[in-house]
Amino acid sequence: MVGQQGINYAVCLMSTHFGDVVAVCECLIRHGSLSFLEVVRFTELPQGQVKNSLLVLIQHNCVQAFSVPKTVGMGGITKPVTLYMILFDNIIHRMRFSKFCLIVKEHLGHQCAEFLEGFLQHGRLTFELLFDRASGLTEGKATRNDVLAKFNELVHAQYVERCPKGEPFLEPKSDEEVSSIRKRIKSSGDTRTIEQEAIIAAAPLDADRFSGIISLTLNTEEVMKDVNNTLETSAGSKRKHEVLEADEDMQNAINTTEVLWRVNYEKFVRCLKKKACVANVRSRLGLDAAIVLEAMIDANDHQNIAMNSVTLSMNSIIEGVRGKPGGISLTLERVRAILNQLGSELCPEESGALYTIGLKGIIENCQNDEVESLVLNKYGKEAYRIFRMLILADRLIAMDQISDNTFLEKKEAQKILCKLWKDDYVEMEKVNLNAGVRAEVFLWKVNKKFLWEHVLNDIFHTALNISKKISQVTEECQVSKSDEEKDKRLKRARRILESTLLKMDDAIMLFHDF
Amino acid sequence: MSGTSMLPQKRKVPLPENEKKLYDLIWSKESLGIWTADMKRETGLTNTAVTKALKSLQAKNFIKDVVNIHNKGKKFYMAVEFEPSKEISGGSWYANGSLDLEFIRVLREQCRKHVASLKSATIEDVCQSIKDSGIFKMECTMQQIKEIMGAMVLDKEIQELTSSGDGEFSHIPAGRKCYRRSRAGAGSTQGYLTSVPCGVCLRIDDCSPDGIISPRTCVYYNKWLGLDF
Repeated sequence: MVGQQGINYAVCLMSTHFGDVVAVCECLIRHGSLSFLEVVRFTELPQGQVKNSLLVLIQHNCVQAFSVPKTVGMGGITKPVTLYMILFDNIIHRMRFSKFCLIVKEHLGHQCAEFLEGFLQHGRLTFELLFDRASGLTEGKATRNDVLAKFNELVHAQYVERCPKGEPFLEPKSDEEVSSIRKRIKSSGDTRTIEQEAIIAAAPLDADRFSGIISLTLNTEEVMKDVNNTLETSAGSKRKHEVLEADEDMQNAINTTEVLWRVNYEKFVRCLKKKACVANVRSRLGLDAAIVLEAMIDANDHQNIAMNSVTLSMNSIIEGVRGKPGGISLTLERVRAILNQLGSELCPEESGALYTIGLKGIIENCQNDEVESLVLNKYGKEAYRIFRMLILADRLIAMDQISDNTFLEKKEAQKILCKLWKDDYVEMEKVNLNAGVRAEVFLWKVNKKFLWEHVLNDIFHTALNISKKISQVTEECQVSKSDEEKDKRLKRARRILESTLLKMDDAIMLFHDF
Repeated sequence: MSGTSMLPQKRKVPLPENEKKLYDLIWSKESLGIWTADMKRETGLTNTAVTKALKSLQAKNFIKDVVNIHNKGKKFYMAVEFEPSKEISGGSWYANGSLDLEFIRVLREQCRKHVASLKSATIEDVCQSIKDSGIFKMECTMQQIKEIMGAMVLDKEIQELTSSGDGEFSHIPAGRKCYRRSRAGAGSTQGYLTSVPCGVCLRIDDCSPDGIISPRTCVYYNKWLGLDF
């Protein structure tokens, strides 16, 4: 869950992009999933405005509808209620559109990037709408087959995906299912919120998600099949739902019969995660190590899962490395030594040994670097040494051991630790060694989970501040046209702010998305 | 038996009752010594009696006062036959109750120099290399070098790695812990937050878009952006 500043930043982004829609968006962020009437009650807005806002938010993949059975009244009648949940991550992704376009431009070329831009601008599109847009951009020169080929390239590379179901119905679980789920939760510690269940229920099968469009005639038949299916299910569910009249238009719009496509943010997060991991390894272990890691990640990228580790045989690694610029000169021994430096684990398989590298560790390294650099700048190099010792130890450490290992006088170390403790960078525990006798020992540690949340909140706060400053500078730019010198300075300031905001977004990804 | 004959022997001289009580207690603490307040508590003697007995024992050269580096203000006593333990004296990094900063600086400099010249080296390599250079009159122990290198790893001046036994580590057996200079250099690289005034701002918690402290009115922002005209 994100902190207060994360919410403020998301609200600021939506307000800049959509204006009035922000009231409904903010209501859903602050209150969690709500029904249509609850949104109307909380926002005190007319039903029509709430309906339009929700439709805009759904169109731009910022809200997902789902229905759950709800017992109403004394008689205990159960009927489905539609709830709307905010997709916080998708709001924050809106900051990254330029990065996404660049990734596609570098991989698939300018035209694919232009098509992707269409999806980013409009949220969800049918192939027909995409073709119309392409046709408009090229003044009618684009043929349907050309657009289809580029569109399929985007889908097969998983940059674009079929939209999830408009409104999945979460079936009530039978007693048997509930008890087996409880057992599973107890054993694995895995608890899924109703929202997570809804996302899973809404997601199309992987085979459909990235299947693309085989031919335009087949596509029309497929649409008709989908139309029939949806009509059957929606007719049935409508009878069951007994939806309110005000909600009915929404239902029709959500349960659309057309095949809609949208940007697959997961793929872009994976691309940016790869970029961050490779950059970190390049700075720590050199260019050759970065080539090996990049080759391994690329070979694993076809799996549509959050990449926490990459596994590959030596032959495939060598093959991947040879295909990279600068990789041809890397010998087998060199690659083996690099894998060792990268902390790879060797797993013997029948077909040959497999090497696994944990990306989680590399991301943790990047996160540590960020917080350590903060400590260095805020509290000086002695504090940095102490903080790094505590981060690496990842357990409670006594005061004396800290001062010994960091070559600091005990008083000095104590003073620094107190400063770090006051600002929540470290935690302290007081232990009385002998009951009744004054023999207190102070133990210190870094609580990474808590501290990382705190740092992420500060990053969101900084991003919000930069966004606000950009708005202010833009306003001033408009009135300072006559003063050339001032105008020049303001434009320069704006460029600095915009590039810093992109960097801040990298930091958000590091602590929130990876 | 030969082992026990090496241990300091307690003096068997008749002493007044209070002095004997204190001497026995101080002796029992061996190289750790004991704080005067703890003496009073453990013997149950009055303040004056303890002070008087301590003065007398010190004059007879039975005990000595020692500096405890962790509590320089507290008076610690120890039998003259013992030398202060590491816990009391601070170990080899302390001289006269204070950190020997000059020694630490020079040894650190030497470690840095030898790791750089050896490209990749184990603790033993660095230790031997320093010994061969003859820069120090007394011998630096392996433990001292290890501790200094540990602090240098914390400062990211050097990196700790495991040798693969080939390539740049060909002279180090595979699996051995070794060190080399950090690629990024000492200290962390510039972070995301530290590149913006907010990252190191002490008033960040008081800052809000419509507050008294806000990005709109922030002097640090204007200075950073060159807008302070």
